[in-house]
Formats: sequence, structure tokens, C-alpha cells
Amino acid sequence: MPPVIFYLLTLAVFAAIYAILALGLNIQWGYTGILDFMYIAFVAVGGYVTSLLMLQPAQPAFGETYLLGLNWPFIPALLVGGLASALLALIVGILALNRLRSDYFAIVTVAVGLVLYTIAGNDTPLVNGWDGISGIPQPFQDVLNLDANSYGFFFLGLCIVILIIVYIFSERLYRSPFGRALRSVREDEMVAQGLGKNVFALRLKAFVIGAFIAGIGGALLVIYVDAFNPSAWTTGETFFLWAALLLGGSANNRGAMLGALIVPVLFAEATRFLPTSSLPPQYIDAFRYIAIGILLILTVRFRPQGILAEKRFRVRKSKLLAPEVATAGGGVHITDADLADDPGTLAEGAANAAEEGNTL
Amino acid sequence: MSQTSPDAATQGATATVRTPDTIILDVRNISKSFGGLRAVDNCSFTVTRGSITGLIGPNGAGKSTAANLITGFMRADAGQIVFDGKDIAHLPPHRVALSGLTRTFQITRELERMTVAENMMAAPHDQLGESFWLGLLGLPAVRRQENEYLQRALQLLRDFDLYHLRDEYAGNLSGGQRRLLELARVVMAKPKLLLLDEPFAGINPVLASRLSDYIEQMCREKGITFLIIEHNLAMVERLCHTVIVMALGRTIAEGTMAELRQNAAVVDAYLGES
Repeated sequence: MPPVIFYLLTLAVFAAIYAILALGLNIQWGYTGILDFMYIAFVAVGGYVTSLLMLQPAQPAFGETYLLGLNWPFIPALLVGGLASALLALIVGILALNRLRSDYFAIVTVAVGLVLYTIAGNDTPLVNGWDGISGIPQPFQDVLNLDANSYGFFFLGLCIVILIIVYIFSERLYRSPFGRALRSVREDEMVAQGLGKNVFALRLKAFVIGAFIAGIGGALLVIYVDAFNPSAWTTGETFFLWAALLLGGSANNRGAMLGALIVPVLFAEATRFLPTSSLPPQYIDAFRYIAIGILLILTVRFRPQGILAEKRFRVRKSKLLAPEVATAGGGVHITDADLADDPGTLAEGAANAAEEGNTL
Repeated sequence: MSQTSPDAATQGATATVRTPDTIILDVRNISKSFGGLRAVDNCSFTVTRGSITGLIGPNGAGKSTAANLITGFMRADAGQIVFDGKDIAHLPPHRVALSGLTRTFQITRELERMTVAENMMAAPHDQLGESFWLGLLGLPAVRRQENEYLQRALQLLRDFDLYHLRDEYAGNLSGGQRRLLELARVVMAKPKLLLLDEPFAGINPVLASRLSDYIEQMCREKGITFLIIEHNLAMVERLCHTVIVMALGRTIAEGTMAELRQNAAVVDAYLGES
């Protein structure tokens, strides 16, 4: 395979995986307004758990130690990896989501992320510490027996299939009354409570669902790069995903995927091609963070809704009231004088009606 | 991921308390302090079922705190709040709402990045599709219920003259339209008692008059009891059957506005110590 094709294939796999990750974060932040700064830890937990289940038992004689090593097949390992992330979210959520305002909750997530990072690095028997794990079996390769090139395309297909499933799931969730309740919590917690919504339960569910998706994406990521240690999931990685979601468009699943294509792939991967001859290598990394930071500031300043804004639900024409019912009125009728406080309203209403004529 | 039935949970957690059936809300000796300040101090009053009751008093009388205590947004230090035969004093706000006592806010609060129609659709309590699995699967029962609620929402929007704005973001509405939407939204939730916190604040007299027509209509046609906190005494006189006066955290008088004008304690509270 020509190097260019191989490189593009790699980028496409990363794009698909990051798109999955951005969709999970979108459920937490875009739908529900939860500030989660430990998102990358959910990615890591899913990645580790899936890998540990799929790996052969550790061989301490070769200087590697990790838990499990059960030689599981891919699908159950993937699901358990997702569930492990979900369980972590459940624990953190039960402890902190109920008691803390969202900004304080955000600080808790940063702290939990750092604690997990430190434990994973230093407690070597768990996941082989800073050296990390590697040698994870390739999913389905035992039955497929493909050559390395063909397997690359197969894995891309696998990632895309999972991305499509996660996308359809996310869209259905968004459009459901459950998704509407999540958004009501995002918009105004007190109004939601006043309407009988259990804000804590809704937040907790969104947090857990997002973490499950993070775990699934993390499993794919770790399997693909086939080497994973704590330096791959620093807090900075969380902000790559945040930048992707905010730039692409919070609460818009296509926006989240677009952001995942632009930020982690173009910024983090494509910058490998920057001329490095004159600069120490660590500068490249610093430039990436600077670029992401500037991008984030520009987005929030000039297009806070992101490239693709949240979609507006319009009432379908077929569901509207019959014209004679719509104008009959329940009792009190509108007059021009009623609108004296806002002369723009009538024109606005008319414009609205015209707009609808075009869109439906 | 399943939600327990809100009704069952409410009944399980609260003791039934005997009150006359004509009383929908019985506030008994509630108190609330903030540091050394007793914002609500051993306050008691009742609201008659089917009435429009006013709650007035000078600034700092404790009206808004009382509203927060009644609706569960704050926890009372002491006292009982009996709503529809159940003590609700220790319920969280969403459980109070599920029991049929809903409120609006002094400063209108909308779900701004949701459309007017979505604001309405978020209101009903017993939505099957608000369970994760049922919502995700989108079963026919869920779709049927969505359709029913959508029709009800559109009819209410029509009644409140917001029908033409159904697809507009709530955040783009004018102040008056926000008041109407807030009222329409709580009516959508089918409450037994609606607590309105200064519904006439900052809106023009014509809209205020319309709003009061709506309130009377909702009371008459839908049997909703209203408890209205308000500074605009002319509106209170026009709307309310009974008026409760609070000062310094306590109830000091109760009656019609005409009676209250003759009451020395009320006049003192409004005009200062005599």
C-alpha cells in the first residue's frame, strides 16, 4: 500500500473514533449541559478494560503486569469496556451530581480524572503503569486472517459501523421526549424541577450514557493504536474533544462529528507534517495546544453555537390545528392594541409563517 | 434506568393529613431563617379550593420565601405544608410539582434554546417517552401520546395567542410573550394549584388585563386554584376572591381588599410603623 493511502486510512480511522467520542460528550454537554472534564478518563477506562479482557495473561517474566488477560472475543469485551466506563460515571455521578452546582461538579471531574491517571501510572500491577499495555489481538483477525493492508480497511469499516450505530442512537435519543427532558435541564434546572422533572436522575442518566459511548470509542482507539499508556489520556486530551464539540456545534450530532474531523484529526494529526528540522520536537506539541486554544477562543467569541448550530424543531404541517380551529380562539382574542409593547411581533409572526411555507 | 412511578413515590413518602376538603393548601406555622434573619416566622394560612387567592405585603415580608418553601425550592426549618391532604414540606421541588402544585417565577424563566412548542411539550408530567428505553424505542404508545400532547399544546398556544410563534425560540420572545408562555406552560402541566410569583411585574396594562382574563378563565373552566403573589394591588383587587397579607414573615390579615383597607395592621405594614 502506498504510504499516502496508508496515512489517509489511519486518519479516517481516527476521524471515525473521535466522532464516536464527540457524540458521547455531546450527550453529556450538548444535550444536558454537564461540564465533564474527565471525559478522557472514561475513554481510558473503556480502552483498558476491553484490552485487558482481550489480552493473553500477563507474563511478568517479560516485565509486564496487568490484571485479567482473559483472551475474550472482541464484542463482549467491547460491551464490558463500555459498561465499566458507565459504572465509573454512575459512581462519580451519584457522589457529586446531586450535591454540586455544575461548575463545582466540573472541578470534581478534573480531580477524579487526575486521580485515575496517577493510579494507572503508578500502580503497575493494574495496567502495566507508565509503560502501558500493547499486543492487543486484532478483532476478528483470528477468523478473517487478512493481510495487514486489508485488515486496515476492515477495521475502518468496523469503526464506521459502530459510528453509525452510535449516531442513530444519539439522534433517536435527541428527538425523544427523554432528550427533550435532558434539554430542559440544560436550559433551566429550576424550570425543569418546577415541571416535575427529576433533574438529578436525568443528569445522572445522561452522564452514564455519555460515558458508555466514551468507553466504546476508547476501546476502538486502544485496539487501533495497540499501545496505550497514561500519557495518551492526559487532561489535555479532554480539551481536544471539548474543542471539537464546541467548534462543530454542541447539541448537533453532525456538528459534533464535523468538529471531530477538524480538531483532533486536522490539528493533532496533520500537524505532524509541519517542518520540524528547525524546531525541537516538543515545540510541535506546544503549537498544537496553542492552536486548539486559539480556535476555542475564536469559536466562543464569534460563533458560540458552533459551525452547525442546534437544529430547530418545527411543528410538522400535518400536525397543525385545522385553520378554522386555529383562528377560533379559546376565549380571549388578540388585538393590535395588545401588541403595543412590541410592534415587531405581528411582522415577526408573518415572517415566521412565510418561512414555514418555504421549509415544510 | 427506569423511573419509579411518581405518584406511588409521593404517596409512599408522605403521611395523609386531615384537612377539610374545601382547603387545597394549608400552610401551618412554617419558619425559615437565613442566618439571623427570620424571613418567614411561624407563618400560617390556607387557600380555598377553586379560589383565586392573593398574597400581598411590603417588600421583605417573606412572600417569595414562602413561595419557595411551599414549592420545595427551599426547605422549611419548621412547620407543615399540607397540599391536597398530604404533607409536602419535605419533598424536593419536582415531587411537589408532580403532586399538582406548580409555580411560575418572579423573573420569567424560559427554556430559551427550545421552541415555544417544545417549551409546552416539556411540561406534561406523565410522559412515557421520558423513560430512556421507551423514548429510545419510540413505541406507538409513545408516539400517540406525543401527538395528543402536541394537539393540546397547540390549542393552549392558540388560547394564549402564541400559536403563530410556535416554532420561534422561546429566548426570542418579548417580555409580555414570555409571561404568556410561562403561564401556558404551567397550565399544560395540568396543575391543581398554580402559584404565580408576581405575574404582572413589568408588563403593560393591556397585557396585564389580558393575563388576568386568562387566569379567571383557567380558574373557571379548568378548575385550577390560583395563589398569586403580587404588588399591583389594583390587579389583586380585580382578580382575587381572598387576599392574605404578610409582614415581617407572618400573616397579619386575611379578607377582601375592601376589608383590608379598613384594617389598621395592614395600613401600618404598608405605610410604616405608627
